[in-house]
Amino acid sequence: MKIDLEGSETIAADPERLWLALNDPAVLTRCIPGCRTMTETGPDAYKVEMQLRVAAVGGSFEGEIALSDKTPPRTCHISVSGSGSLGHGSGTARFEITPAEGGSLLAYQGAGEVGGLVAGVGQRILGSVSKHLVGRFFTALRKEFEGSAALGAAE
Amino acid sequence: MSAEAARFRFVSANRRVREDRRFVAGHGRYVADIALEGMLHVAILGAQHPAARILSIDPSAALAMPGVHYVLTGEELAGATDQLMNGLDTPNVRRFPLALGQTRYAGEWVAAVVADTRALAEDACEKVKVSYERLPYLTQAEEALDPSSPPVHPAHGSNVLLDKQFVWGEVDRHFAESPRQLSFRVTWGRNSTVPIETFGVVASWDPWSEMLDVWASIQMPKYPDQIARALRIPANNVRVHHDVDVGGSYGVKRGIKHTVLAAHLARRLGRPVRLLEDRLENMRGGDAHGPERIFDVDVAFDDAGIVRSMKMRALDNAGAYAGRAPFQLGKPIGAIVGPYKIESVAYRAQSVTTNKAVQEAVRGFGQSPTNYAIETALDKVGLACGLDRIEVRRRNFIRKEEFPYLIPSGTRYDSGDYHTVVDKVLAHVDYPALVAERDRLRAEGMLAGIGIAACLEPSGGNSAFEPLLNEKNETTTWMESVRINVDGTGCVAVTIHTTSSGQGHETLAATVVAEVLEIDPDLIRIVRPDSLACLPSNTPVGSRMAIMMGGACFHAAQKLKAKLLRIGAHRLGLAPEAARYQGGSVGAVSGGQALDWAALVNIAHRNFHLLPPDTEPGLESTHVMQVPTGTSLPKDGRVQMYPCHSFEFHLVLVALDPVLGKPEIRRYVIGHDCGTVINPHIVKGMTLGGIAHGLGAALLEEFVYDEEGQMLTQSFMDYLLPSSHEMPKVEIVHHCTPSPFTVFGQKGSGESGYLGAPAAISGALNDAVAEFGISFDKLPIRISAISDAVAAARVRSSEETTS
Repeated sequence: MKIDLEGSETIAADPERLWLALNDPAVLTRCIPGCRTMTETGPDAYKVEMQLRVAAVGGSFEGEIALSDKTPPRTCHISVSGSGSLGHGSGTARFEITPAEGGSLLAYQGAGEVGGLVAGVGQRILGSVSKHLVGRFFTALRKEFEGSAALGAAE
Repeated sequence: MSAEAARFRFVSANRRVREDRRFVAGHGRYVADIALEGMLHVAILGAQHPAARILSIDPSAALAMPGVHYVLTGEELAGATDQLMNGLDTPNVRRFPLALGQTRYAGEWVAAVVADTRALAEDACEKVKVSYERLPYLTQAEEALDPSSPPVHPAHGSNVLLDKQFVWGEVDRHFAESPRQLSFRVTWGRNSTVPIETFGVVASWDPWSEMLDVWASIQMPKYPDQIARALRIPANNVRVHHDVDVGGSYGVKRGIKHTVLAAHLARRLGRPVRLLEDRLENMRGGDAHGPERIFDVDVAFDDAGIVRSMKMRALDNAGAYAGRAPFQLGKPIGAIVGPYKIESVAYRAQSVTTNKAVQEAVRGFGQSPTNYAIETALDKVGLACGLDRIEVRRRNFIRKEEFPYLIPSGTRYDSGDYHTVVDKVLAHVDYPALVAERDRLRAEGMLAGIGIAACLEPSGGNSAFEPLLNEKNETTTWMESVRINVDGTGCVAVTIHTTSSGQGHETLAATVVAEVLEIDPDLIRIVRPDSLACLPSNTPVGSRMAIMMGGACFHAAQKLKAKLLRIGAHRLGLAPEAARYQGGSVGAVSGGQALDWAALVNIAHRNFHLLPPDTEPGLESTHVMQVPTGTSLPKDGRVQMYPCHSFEFHLVLVALDPVLGKPEIRRYVIGHDCGTVINPHIVKGMTLGGIAHGLGAALLEEFVYDEEGQMLTQSFMDYLLPSSHEMPKVEIVHHCTPSPFTVFGQKGSGESGYLGAPAAISGALNDAVAEFGISFDKLPIRISAISDAVAAARVRSSEETTS
């Protein structure tokens, strides 16, 4: 089944810092829900291992993330594909960072397709689950900057 | 019925169903209750893609987990077993329990993991790495007819499994001569019976006796033969235990692939193996979906609403393998004109493969979808002629005095009195009052409609549709057997030779044997021996057990009674015709001294010197029953299908809020004639359950696949079953027209209710929305479809008013 995601979030960081964070595997590992490891396999290419739970099924997924059409520190194209025994998914997204009051505005738009057990079991809630996961990502991302801001203040 | 019932002591009597006690008390014995020493457990890894080449399967991470014993793949299994039976002549549509090289639907079994516990096996499943190369796929039946569609089985060459045209009678002439014609399309959605108990099997192999023992939640003809053939072992090395309760089936409990897989693993690993589906496995990959069918119907009729001829094209989406699906287009040929005098019929049966789960037999074996199409036609003819929908049916019904009635496709209907059943139902409901109630609801701003369905339940199942659709198949018998043994203490044990999935066979057998022998049914023990101790039987399919097992019980008991009579007459020095059997005793017709049951039993078991000459000692009898009628092969596309035809007439009042669109059944009345009823509680239970099942098919249940070939309704969150909230109170109006072809005049009732409920409920909804000039032509009619259609129609009508 198809999933569309679109939205924008304000992050308390200037575009350059936000850009760096979004390109840092260590930050992403902390922010992506269920992400256990993220290993660089080439320029702008990563391998990820995730543990996720959707509705009645949960499990581990392995996937690949590739970044392209990068225009630092403004836009980037991301493609994701992954599979586990409980399902598979793939998608592409584009995000755009613009300076905004209080930091940066991060706008994103993406489309994905999921299949396998997860699609069937979770189809009625996949839309809200994916929104929830995106929400968790941004909550974690904001924490990154709160943390560093606090850290910076202490220094 | 009362006049009929008076002939009997136990048949038709208000007696309890003996099985119910253990079920109600929670003491049924199911496959899940079978626990063998050292038993291992299986979990299944299903395919994620509707079609993909399997590039590699890496089980190493799973096998490294403690407690994991084995990972079985399609390559090993296909090497060790023969392909599963295929009823059609399509040798290149090969099917194995595990996908071989390629997966053909999302959920198809790719690997099986064996571990100490089921939970561990499930966890290990996640560690099995399969890499796929995705292939083109299709999900729609009409697309499958296109020769350029991606073939599900490339070796077969196309997606068409079956395309057979039958013409019975002078269809072209009748169409040309008829002043009126109409055409329409209706679609039956893919649903099934989804029993509470999923499929389960336990297999155990003893290498010293070379015996495979199987306990399964099964309802399948020739099950032990099929296991033996697939495993390449002699059939007398397979012992299927029938003393297992089956928690619901209505056709779908046919886990041959599960059994072959578990049996292979039991042999391979030297330990008992259990495979018990969870709900997701059952819904996705259990191969237990039902028909999914498009009907294109043309009818030719006159101004009086008399239907003279019909053309029907049925296109069925079989799913990824042939299974039993194509035959479900064949069985309805035995009642292709329903209860009506349609003179000629052209029928085109098409079955195609797509990348969806495999179909299995479902209650009625294709009859309920066909009845839905026929009843829709009658509604439309009534509407076109300005006739009441009941009147148009009455005018077309076969009349009581015309039975046995030969229909164009070769079946002779046994008996019926359709007009009387309708009259009784209309009198019971006070039809004018029902119409007034509908109109009152409409005046209140509700949408309300009356639905009508009149249809047949062919019963007594033979397999005449198999040779009809596959000329290489020459099966003309579909027997059922019973054995009665009276032991040396006079106790009676009756053996029946299949599993039961809630049909009350123990009650049936005890009632019939008791009726003939004139003894207390509660004293009769019913036994289900394992398959090696069984007489030839074909399991409860085709609504046949009242007719076939009931018939076998009757004849075996008659043989036993005749032997008792001979023994008694000899001992009393009477000629057999001068003796009389009564209540278990034998005495002279003229009265006087009689030998009671104990004395007769004693002679048979201990006094060979008192037995008549050439009499075997002991008291035992068997009967192998052939299906009444239908003993020859098809000729010119015509064949006698099932022997008996029960009739049901549904009358339904449905009301709904035009904005919410949620249908509520305000009144449900069914007139039911299944001939002589053997146990009224069993028949009532079948009818109520059948209506609930039909309500699901009409309004709720569907296995939905999205455009990507993924199944979206894999659990009961999305595959909606009717509950007590949706199920109305049902009023049953009985009538009894005995069948001339059966021992008590009984007919089948295992599919009752289900065969007409979808048509009736659909008709009621169409009546409710007729004022908007719309109708529904696809089942299930979900709430969303109703409210959307009504809203769109209201917008249109308001635009027309304003413009």
